[in-house]
Parts: sequence; structure tokens; C-alpha cells
Amino acid sequence: MANELLFFMEVLVGGLLAGTMYSLVALGFVLIFKASATFNFSQGAMVFFSVLAFCGFMQDFNIPFVLAFILAAFLMVVVGLCTERLVLRPLMNASEDTVLMATIGLGYVLEGLAQAAWGVEVRRLDLGIGDFPVPWIADNLKLFISALDITAGLVAAIMIIGLFLLFKYTKIGLGLRAVADDAGAASSIGIPLKHIMLLVWSAAGIVALVAGMMWGARAGVQFALVDLALKALPVLIIGGFSSIPGAIIGGLIIGAVEKILEVYIGPFFGGAIEGWAPYVLAIFFLLYRPEGLFGEKIIRRV
Amino acid sequence: MSDNSVNILDIKNIEVMYDNVILALHDVSLKVPKGKVVALLGANGAGKSTTLKAVSTMLASERGKVTKGSIDYDGNSIEKQNPSQMVGLGMVQVLEGRRCFGHLTVEENIISGAYSRKLSKGDIAQELEKIYTYFLRLKERRKSQAAFTSGGEQQMIAVARAMMAKPKMLLLDEPTMGLAPQLVAEIFNIVKELNQKEGVSILLAEQNTNIALKNSDYGYIIETGKVMLEGTAQSLLNNDKVKELYLGISKKGRKNFRDVLKEENLNKKSN
Repeated sequence: MANELLFFMEVLVGGLLAGTMYSLVALGFVLIFKASATFNFSQGAMVFFSVLAFCGFMQDFNIPFVLAFILAAFLMVVVGLCTERLVLRPLMNASEDTVLMATIGLGYVLEGLAQAAWGVEVRRLDLGIGDFPVPWIADNLKLFISALDITAGLVAAIMIIGLFLLFKYTKIGLGLRAVADDAGAASSIGIPLKHIMLLVWSAAGIVALVAGMMWGARAGVQFALVDLALKALPVLIIGGFSSIPGAIIGGLIIGAVEKILEVYIGPFFGGAIEGWAPYVLAIFFLLYRPEGLFGEKIIRRV
Repeated sequence: MSDNSVNILDIKNIEVMYDNVILALHDVSLKVPKGKVVALLGANGAGKSTTLKAVSTMLASERGKVTKGSIDYDGNSIEKQNPSQMVGLGMVQVLEGRRCFGHLTVEENIISGAYSRKLSKGDIAQELEKIYTYFLRLKERRKSQAAFTSGGEQQMIAVARAMMAKPKMLLLDEPTMGLAPQLVAEIFNIVKELNQKEGVSILLAEQNTNIALKNSDYGYIIETGKVMLEGTAQSLLNNDKVKELYLGISKKGRKNFRDVLKEENLNKKSN
């Protein structure tokens, strides 16, 4: 009995830790959604693009880890800059749907560029953190939890706290929150939208890089990362598109639920249900609580 | 001295179109002398907001465009400017409907107005204190979320936020919309005080003709995108047609200046 409980705890904790990565990527979506009311379909491509570049810098040019990370992060700022200048600014007064389509196009461009520059083969990424249970926890708590999961959880937590502090206590953070509430009013008092756009796209890019590194370390840096990042979609449906706490909690829920379902119900379906189970959960939310757990209820007069 | 140094704002015969087809303003000319309060009066849809947005260059974000005429602010054409540049030049618009940042606190809302200025934390605190002397009510509520304040307080937030940008000129779009008479008076007192003590020139769009004229130096009345009448605030308050059409002291069933002009034309013909 006790063993079963321990096993459940193990599954739950592993799921929650994996979920922090979903939270982080969902946060990238929320930032862009708040600033421009658009779902950024290129987020998955950004994950793939950034981490492939990081691997390329390290493996093809023998650049040390830290420097490669800084270069890749800088590259994502450049991507943000180009996106703002070449895609968003010309579409400033276009409808939200147009911008949405543009992000899909941007996704293809990024995928293509990444593969053209670094090749199409799957790359192995070694962060120096093993994907095996931490002995100390295994000995003392009898829980087998992967070191990679723990690292991912910690990194995600640090980044979320960092973003929170950035938004709460800096001038540009205040500007972002103002734009998120009312972009028109923000521009009427002289908050330049282009700076805010650059900030959110750069932040989303760096978040994508970190998530890509964690996922890439486990499953290899490959094209499938694009789809993995789309797991943020059910996260957002559950958490609410415009809510930062929603993204965090939604990510934890998806992470935990998909692992629990995989372990306890998966065998009845022949396994591998974590790929689609979150989307089923999302459908239930869409049916019964479309605004998500923390989203703003949308009231529209007809 | 040239004409420009007297008038901070000079609008000459502008025409405004939305989406290249909808003609919102036909022919609007108006001047705002430095340090004065000018009222722009008219009913819903007359073109008050469009005029203000043409001046603050916020038209572009609503697919509007000035297609004829010119707008000079502080002696320079505003044609090539964008809203944040206009704020930098000291022209700030307070949009219709208050438009506070609901999730931000009252104080954060006000501080956000200083975004375009390069101020240190100390400078901001100092500016805040100065602003609070005009908006005592807001100081009490500084830590509340703006969405949970009353309509009057939200209007004060919107004006206080604009004042944080240290404007030379304020464009106020219906600051008293939907407010109780007592609050209307309070808002106008603050506006008057800002005008006198801070020397801010003000262009005020209002439907509330009576109180707007009582607090202004000069007034323009527009209908369907055209200036129908202008004059000093006092002369407009005493004008029979204004009394009849805008102050509700009516004898006949005439509703606007167009009806009046039609009648006058008929009279001329019959004479």
C-alpha cells in the first residue's frame, strides 16, 4: 500500500516538474497574447530554432556552453527585433486574424531557416545533467525523481520569478502591463508599442530557448520540438489565455494529469496517451469553462 | 510676434476620412491660444473625438486620415508625427471613456503617464506628490486597483496620468461623460486649476454645453463634421440659437443648426 502511494507521489512530482516547462512556454504565449491579442503560432518554431542554434554554436563552432547560450539568447532578441520591424509593424492596424496568420507564416520561416543553417539531423544535447533519479532523494524519501526534471523545475521557477519581478518593478514592465490592459490608452500617454513588442517577443524567444534546451536534453534536438511546444495550447485553454498565474498553474495541471493518465489509464489504450490526453482535457474545458480557470470572462453584446 | 506663438494649436480646414471612404470631418478650423481653455461642442457623432484624434495623431490606429487641410502645433506641422512623439512634444490626449489600466493600481496608472520622460525614482515621487495636490481623492486610493474605483475617480486617474507626462496642451474628450453633477463640477474645478496653475492649454470636447462654456474662454460648435458657430464662451452662452439648441431653452421644434439654416433660407426666399 505504502509502495503504491510512493509510486503515485513519484508520478505526480515528476509530472509537476515536467509541467513547469509547459508553464514556461505557455508564459511565452501569454506575454504575446497580452501585448498583441494574438496567439503566436510560431512559438513552437521559436523553440526549435533557438535550441538548434544553441546546439549549432556549441557543436559546430566549439563555442563554450555559457557563451553559446548568450549568443542564442541574443539571436532570439534579433528574431524579436526583426519580427517587430518586418511583420508586426506593417500589420499594426490589421485585424487580429491577419496577425495570427502572419505568426503561422513566421513559424514556417523560422523552421526553414533553422534547418537550412544547421541541417536536418537529430542532435544530441548534453547539458551535463543526467536523466536518472537523484540518489539523495531516492535514499531519503524513497522517491525516484530524475535530476533533469528537478533542474527543469528549478530553472522554470527561477525564470517565472524573474519575469514576475521584471513586470512588477521595472519601467518597461509597467509599460507592458499598461499595454496589456489597454493598448490605445497606453499609446495616448506615449508608451511606444514597438518597445513593448520587442520586449515580449525577446522574452518569449529566451523562454523558448530554455524550454528547448530542457526538452532537447531529454528527447534530442529535433523537429518534434515544434509540436511539443504546442502543448502550451491546452495549458492556455485550461489556465486562460490572458493570465500569467493561469499559464503557470495550467502547465502544472497538464504536466501532472498527463503523467498520471499515462501511468494509470494508458495501458488500457495501449500506452502513449500523454501525447493526446491534454487535448482531451482541453476539449472538456472548452465545453464547460471556455474562459479557462483564470481567464477573463468574455462578455460580448450582440 | 508671429501668429504661431499666440496659438499653440492651429487647425486649418481639415477633412478626415476613415477607411478611405467614410467622411467624418468636412471642414473644421479652430485655434487654441496658448494658456486658454477652448471648448469643442456638439452632439454624438458630430466629429469632436475625430478632431481630437486628428490632433493627437491617434487617427492612424483607427484607419483614419487627415485628407485635406493642416494642423500646426506649437508652430510646427504634426503631419509626420506619431502619438508617442506628440506626447514627447507635450501634447497629451485623455481619451473618451477614461480608459484606465484596470489591473494596475491607481498609483501605477499615474506613474505610467511619465513613461515618455526620463525621470529618476526620486523625481517620479516628487512629481506624484505635486499631482496629488490636485487630486486629493486619488492619494487616499493610491493602492487600490483602478478597475475597482468609481467613474469619477477613474476620470481623475486618466487626467492625472496625462498630467504626469508634463503636457503643454491637454486634449480632453468628454471628461464628464456619465458622471453625477457634483463630480462634473469637481472635475471641471481640477481642469480649471491645472490650466491656471500649470499653464496647460486645453482643448475640451464636451456634450455638456452649459458647464463646458462656463469653464472655457472660447467655444466652437460642430455638427456633422463642420464648424457651425464659434465665439467667446460668454457670447455663446448668451447666443439665442445656442440657448435653444444646446442649452435646452427651446421654444420651437428645431433640433440643430441645419434646421435653423433651412428655416432662414425659406424665410429669405419668401421675403
